[in-house]
Amino acid sequence: MSKPSSEAPPEERPRASSRYDTVRLSHGSGGKLTLELIEELFVATFNDGAIKELTDAAVLVNPGGRLAFATDSHTVKPAFFPGGDIGRLAVAGTVNDLAVMGASPKYMSAAFLLEEGFDMAELERVVRSMKATADEAGVEIVAGDTKVLERGHGDGIFITTTGIGFLADDVHIGVGHVRPGDKVLVNGTLGDHGIAVMSRREGLDLAVELESDVAPLNGLIEAVRLAAPNVRFMRDVTRGGLAAVANEVVQRQAFGLRVFDVAVPIHELVEQYSEMLGIDPMLAANEGKVMLIVAPEEADAALGAMKAHPLGREAAIIGDIVRKPEGVALVETAYGSRRVLEMPIEEQLPRIC
Amino acid sequence: MVDAGTAPSAGVAFRPEVYKDPGLVTQLQRRIASLADGLGRPVKLMHICGTHEHEMGRYALRDLLPASVEVLAGPGCPVCVCDNEYINMAIELSLQPDTILTSFGDMLAVPGSIPLEGERRGDVRMSLLDARARGGDVRAVYSVFDAKRIAEQNPDEQVVFFSVGFETTVVAVAAMLKRGVPDNLSVIEANYYTPPATQLLPDLDGFDVEGFILPGHAVTITGLRVYEDLPARGIACASGGFEPVDVLASIASLLQQIRDGAPVVANPYGRLVKYDGNERAKRELHEVFELAPIRWRGIAEIAASGYKLREPHWYASAARRFSGQLDPVVLRGAEHPEGCRCAEVTLGQIRPDECRVFGRRCTPDSPYGPCMVSHEGTCRAWYTYGMHKEQLRVETV
Repeated sequence: MSKPSSEAPPEERPRASSRYDTVRLSHGSGGKLTLELIEELFVATFNDGAIKELTDAAVLVNPGGRLAFATDSHTVKPAFFPGGDIGRLAVAGTVNDLAVMGASPKYMSAAFLLEEGFDMAELERVVRSMKATADEAGVEIVAGDTKVLERGHGDGIFITTTGIGFLADDVHIGVGHVRPGDKVLVNGTLGDHGIAVMSRREGLDLAVELESDVAPLNGLIEAVRLAAPNVRFMRDVTRGGLAAVANEVVQRQAFGLRVFDVAVPIHELVEQYSEMLGIDPMLAANEGKVMLIVAPEEADAALGAMKAHPLGREAAIIGDIVRKPEGVALVETAYGSRRVLEMPIEEQLPRIC
Repeated sequence: MVDAGTAPSAGVAFRPEVYKDPGLVTQLQRRIASLADGLGRPVKLMHICGTHEHEMGRYALRDLLPASVEVLAGPGCPVCVCDNEYINMAIELSLQPDTILTSFGDMLAVPGSIPLEGERRGDVRMSLLDARARGGDVRAVYSVFDAKRIAEQNPDEQVVFFSVGFETTVVAVAAMLKRGVPDNLSVIEANYYTPPATQLLPDLDGFDVEGFILPGHAVTITGLRVYEDLPARGIACASGGFEPVDVLASIASLLQQIRDGAPVVANPYGRLVKYDGNERAKRELHEVFELAPIRWRGIAEIAASGYKLREPHWYASAARRFSGQLDPVVLRGAEHPEGCRCAEVTLGQIRPDECRVFGRRCTPDSPYGPCMVSHEGTCRAWYTYGMHKEQLRVETV
């Protein structure tokens, strides 16, 4: 997995914000320290046109036509994990929500809830990572806000991002366009993020050389849509994994979704560790994966376009849309046996034995 | 449990891919079909291990069996058999100040019998997740050694490990206690020994199961000798591994024994299971623990079926250490939620859909009885995978 963008951007310290080693309540009070933090960390790093004005609201140019609008709050433990961090996650998450609608993400706002005492150097790393990810996705972070919570009243750092994307008039993507016979594709191995993050949680010393897949997918999706203009449906596969997305698609629909379990790309380490922990990789979280449903005649073109993109090298056709059973997502095993692909209910918890 | 991190010992070819091989699975499927044909009547088999239920669900192995062969889930799901007393104890302790309660993940959602006050869903019993939502410090761990580390990192707090499970869990606790633990660590002794429960089953009214798939992990430790009296009582036995080929091989072995009218204790999982088990594990286990009566949730108190700490290790018993803070009335609680028939389900006496609350009051997102909680619980598996062959028949374009 090559993910050059997840590398930390070059160090650009010191800044005035690092007069303090940690975040103080005053950094969120609206006074001098708040202004310092905004100007010398956020504005200096994001450095995009609208944010430099320091006005109450960013003023953007509307090219006319439809807009797509999405928001997403992010919390992850630990905030830094193999392959990424909460900053990259926060930007990629909202970019992907817009991109799967067929929109081109353009602008983003970011709201930070910081716990008093949060390490200033870590905050700088997060902000730089957001900037790098935004650049990779071609979006501008144009507005922001910061509040500081008293120590013990927050879990380090929470980030909420809201994004706007431009949506062409001729884009029609949605479950209503899905037909029996359509093919189901993903852009690569499933469960990497879930297992990579879990491997770094307290109490689980897994020496997993596995990286989260967190990445903005708008470039990949654009490439697919050029090759397969009639993509019927796309959804980013995040918490709840493939199982959640597959079930959302079939809900109340007059078709079913069949996944061939041997066709689903799973990283060897994810396979091993999920086996050990009794976790199903199809239910594990991802942050750089998309499930697509495309017409059968466009499936190979879509697959080829993904395989040609760095974020889709291990893309695969994993299943199809079937007439019956209706409203059910199911898995067909290598043995031809079938089971329901269950909608995840609770967080994935390792089993006893 | 096979430790994936160590090299296989001499003579054991641990090549999991062989045991997933579709060609072998097809061969076994044919053999099972032909044995079932030869029998010409319905046959009920039972496994006694949560992991068997898990793997059968995951690979949809019941889907590969002829309609006349039914595999029930017996009292082998630790989450399902763990008595209210221990769940209540864990909840009570987690709500004590300066106490960290550590537990395997799949115990967290199991309700005990303490009512959850002010709950919108109605009559709901508290689980460890509810205790956490009410301020309890509840942490999911992967083994007792994680609990030990948490105890070392938090010397000013009491750390309690909710030791639920069968031989496989308890042997790790024994190994740890033998090597010494921090003063602030204790364990809730909710450890079960399978053979006495399996010996009880054939005496139950209407029990018509003809063969047991013995729990592969547990018999790796105990060996097979402890099941020797079952064939004499007409029960066929076969050790069962956990890959598709293993499970089907056990089923084929049982059907053959039944067809021949010659039940034995067969060992198709011989690559790991020895007749006398693992001597060293057994020795350590019995140095630290002794067999005592224990209640199986909703079933009965069964003599010599629970592992309790021996006297030199009483210091590590949470029940003893915190006896002053635990109310025996709360611990015993109600035997079982009213209307829940998990016990009969666990004993193979009824099917989940014969229970009045199944699928109505009792669903995976709001479980009423323990068998609906864990993925290996019979009711949960039924609810999830309960669509049968006809319903999962695929029609393409």
